Amino acid sequence: MSTGRAQRVFLLLALFLTAPLTVGLCLSFAPDPEAIAAAKPLIHREEGNVGSETCRPCHLEQHASWKKTYHRTMTQRAHPETVVGAFDGQTVRYMGKEARPFQRDGRFYMTIPAEEGSREAEVVLAVGSRRYQQYFEQVAVADGHIYRRLPVLWHIGWERWLHMNTVFLGPDDADWDAHATRWNDNCIFCHNTAPRPGIEQGYAFDSHVAELGIACESCHGPGEAHVAAQRNPGTRYGYHLSGEVADDIVNPERQDQAEAVSACGQCHGQRVPIEDELIVDWMHTGPTYRSGDDLLDHVRPVTRDLPPPKTARQDLFSQRFWSDGTPRLSAYEFQGVIESPCYKQGPMTCGWCHSMHGGDPKGMIYESMRGNRACVQCHQDIGADVAGHTMHAADSSGSQCLDCHMPKIVYGILETHRSHLIEVPDPARDAEQGRPNACTMCHLNRSPLWAAEEMQRLWGDAYRRPGYRQDKAPLEMSDAVASLLTGDPVQRAVYASAAGRAGRKLEDPGQIHATLAVTLGDGWPSVRSFAQRSLATYDDLPTELRETVAEWDHTLAEERGAMARAILDYLNRQGVSEVPTYLTDDQRLLALLELQEGRIISIGE
Amino acid sequence: MSEKETRDPATGKALAWGWGLLAVSLPLGLTLEALHALKVSSYLSSPMRRELWTLAHAHGNLLGILCLAFAAVGLRTLPDAASRGSVSLWLRLGAVIMPLGFFAGGILNYEGDPSLGILLVPAGAICLLYALGRAGLSAWRVAGS
Repeated sequence: MSTGRAQRVFLLLALFLTAPLTVGLCLSFAPDPEAIAAAKPLIHREEGNVGSETCRPCHLEQHASWKKTYHRTMTQRAHPETVVGAFDGQTVRYMGKEARPFQRDGRFYMTIPAEEGSREAEVVLAVGSRRYQQYFEQVAVADGHIYRRLPVLWHIGWERWLHMNTVFLGPDDADWDAHATRWNDNCIFCHNTAPRPGIEQGYAFDSHVAELGIACESCHGPGEAHVAAQRNPGTRYGYHLSGEVADDIVNPERQDQAEAVSACGQCHGQRVPIEDELIVDWMHTGPTYRSGDDLLDHVRPVTRDLPPPKTARQDLFSQRFWSDGTPRLSAYEFQGVIESPCYKQGPMTCGWCHSMHGGDPKGMIYESMRGNRACVQCHQDIGADVAGHTMHAADSSGSQCLDCHMPKIVYGILETHRSHLIEVPDPARDAEQGRPNACTMCHLNRSPLWAAEEMQRLWGDAYRRPGYRQDKAPLEMSDAVASLLTGDPVQRAVYASAAGRAGRKLEDPGQIHATLAVTLGDGWPSVRSFAQRSLATYDDLPTELRETVAEWDHTLAEERGAMARAILDYLNRQGVSEVPTYLTDDQRLLALLELQEGRIISIGE
Repeated sequence: MSEKETRDPATGKALAWGWGLLAVSLPLGLTLEALHALKVSSYLSSPMRRELWTLAHAHGNLLGILCLAFAAVGLRTLPDAASRGSVSLWLRLGAVIMPLGFFAGGILNYEGDPSLGILLVPAGAICLLYALGRAGLSAWRVAGS
């Protein structure tokens, strides 16, 4: 080869190699998004966790659909793109004290009451993403630091601040620190991926998570082995061509029934370690459950009969359930599902109705699954003649499977939610166990006796008449009215919410109007909130009255009695509703409010 | 292409630079495909880097072909040697600087923004526009005469 030709060949080869060599060189020092994510404070890469950034290159669609979910934004560092509350310097008042959320230099602060006057707290973490966002400050402790919840939260839907004491199931309480919980050994478990509280003896805190919020590895398990194996294109195409499924990562939809529901149950089912002593390990390195396992091999779900810790109130757990053991707070869906006939005797898993990568991020569910399709996908015989099964008009709410078999008898985050213990309504059981009843949550003026007689008439003698009400109210009285006046806080919340539902049946609207007016004076601010929202939905009431109710600030404990009285007087004076005589007498009304069952329900969040 | 065209300094240089650009840009495409095949995270996990390097690959190839096209028609459309030389220079500069800018923009980029190397892209675009303008005006004159 001549010198000139050799030079040309050399030049061409050099040009060909320019791009690969330059790319290789550049990538060796270019910023790596995975490494950047892993290096952030609070983040660990223990036990084979790799983070969602690593999953994205191969699973673009799944990553994009997950990114739309409220799971992803469940815990976030506080900065202008993540904080949704109005830190505008306006004062938030509650029970004689005040907070002032404000911004300074692009950072978020709150002035909050302190032992002497007030103090500034800087928001560093934001927890919650759909209904409300809570804020946490970082506090130095002897060895490390903790994140402590601040006393007011931002309600996203209502676009307003609320004090913590008004969103749980407790009475008006002037203690501003009643819910100043610690993120490191509470929220960390279910609002993050692969939590490691890092709490050691001597109260040293070194908390880490694989990812803030609920990310890929919460459901699919640690991804390191999967990533290592699937980086090889030969391996990937081998799986594609053979149709085999890689066993180096968990897909809950391909697991058996118990393992599949465990993936959701690890958070949507309050639980304690399977052995008490393991709590020390949980607080150090986190829960032992990993996706793909059977959750019940690792935990004991909290149930009505589970003994609480010795240092806790003895009714701590039992109050979270109706008397028959049915969960009545949110985050107990796992307990409901595994006790349901559809699970015990059928193939149902969470994925039969919910979808992690599709549908409405609110509820993570396709729209069709909010209706009868959820049930008739299996119960096809009923689906062929729904009205024949329900004995209600096909287009009425009485023919909505979920309204009877999964009624909204669960309280959580200022809403009522569907029970996930799928069952048949039974007025006798419900009255005697102090539970709201699916029939009387719609037929608001009707009594448990009426409901039982209707069940007998329509579905036969398998249904009996109730012998008593757990709350001792007369069986002939409207279930909704009796529950609102004498029920415990969850009963009151459920019926106050049900009174505002679409499709409700009212023979005597005045009775419900008046009872809701009384409930505006309830001692539990969260219950007042339901009554306020429901009363404002009654189109048969004058607009002026509905606006007065809707604009009222239900958190103002000092105004509740006067508000209830004013609305009752208005109804009475205007004659728009016939107010029952027991509600028109001041003394008797106050006596009724005093009778309300006043237990404080510990929600555990 | 005639011997006259290959011997003309302006079109001859465009010819060499065109093939040279293709010799770099085509292997760049192969390299990017390899990064996909091997799931190299520092490339795949940065959407900005992926987009910019893909643009570098595409522009390098297209502008290489443009240089070859100029080499083929330069003598006919630009009879004036001085104009031809000037257009050739600005075309070659733009054809190299613009893809280089896309590539450099994806090296030290962070999250939503490219690195400052991206500033080479408008610089290259100005070179190309100048070359295009001069070539267009000259071609217009030739067509009119």
